[in-house]
Amino acid sequence: MTGYPVPASSRGIIALDENACTSCMLCARECPDWCIEIDSHKETVHEEGSRPRVVHVLDRFAIDFGLCMWCGICIEACPFDALFWAPSYDHAATEPAGMVHERFDLRQWLSEVPPGTP
Amino acid sequence: MTWIADVTAARDAGAVFFDFLTAVDLEGDGFEVVCRLWDPTARTEHLLRTRCTRTDARVPTLTGVFAGAAWHERAVADLFGIGFDGHDTAPLLLPASFEGHPLRKEFVLASREARQWPGAKDPGESDADLAVPRRRRAKPLGTRDWSP
Repeated sequence: MTGYPVPASSRGIIALDENACTSCMLCARECPDWCIEIDSHKETVHEEGSRPRVVHVLDRFAIDFGLCMWCGICIEACPFDALFWAPSYDHAATEPAGMVHERFDLRQWLSEVPPGTP
Repeated sequence: MTWIADVTAARDAGAVFFDFLTAVDLEGDGFEVVCRLWDPTARTEHLLRTRCTRTDARVPTLTGVFAGAAWHERAVADLFGIGFDGHDTAPLLLPASFEGHPLRKEFVLASREARQWPGAKDPGESDADLAVPRRRRAKPLGTRDWSP
């Protein structure tokens, strides 16, 4: 993060913990701005001693911050604590497509999330 | 004219800070116009509401009580098509050529009709899976219940 210092609890940008995300689509469905795009696919996991089970594997998670209104409903809606507010705020872009941040950006902001954030 | 009288009474009782005025589309029950006042000494808020019908969508203006209500009433006139008696509400937010009132429930949001809802996909699906016909798909709230 660069620029003017802000409190760690600031609502700057939304961070994603990919390991916690189950591709359940709840955030994308609750988002009033339709700014979350999720793609996933099913894989069957075979584990020793248990029956094969189907898991959802995340392929794409993108938030269009050009549409986002920072309401935080996605963070509230997430039942798996995969979304967090991060304080980083200076993400202006020179074109609308530059406001779309993919999972790799969203994951990197996870390091800024203050510890103990619910 | 109890609307003006009620707001005036609240102001004279100490709620001197005019916060905002907006409206709610109640569909069959018409419109509700909501005004929030703040009492800076008692530190209390006052939410005042009035109703009007869809067919005769107009309420008295509050500009005589709070001059600052003028912008709010112009915005409500733009977005809900509610008239304010005694206030010539020139368009504030919308271009003069704009047709319709975007915050009315019957107003169709063209971008929502044209774009695929991101939530239509189920867990474990991507855009390609949406091409497969399905009897039941999740539908977004606030859009018309038909498929083009």
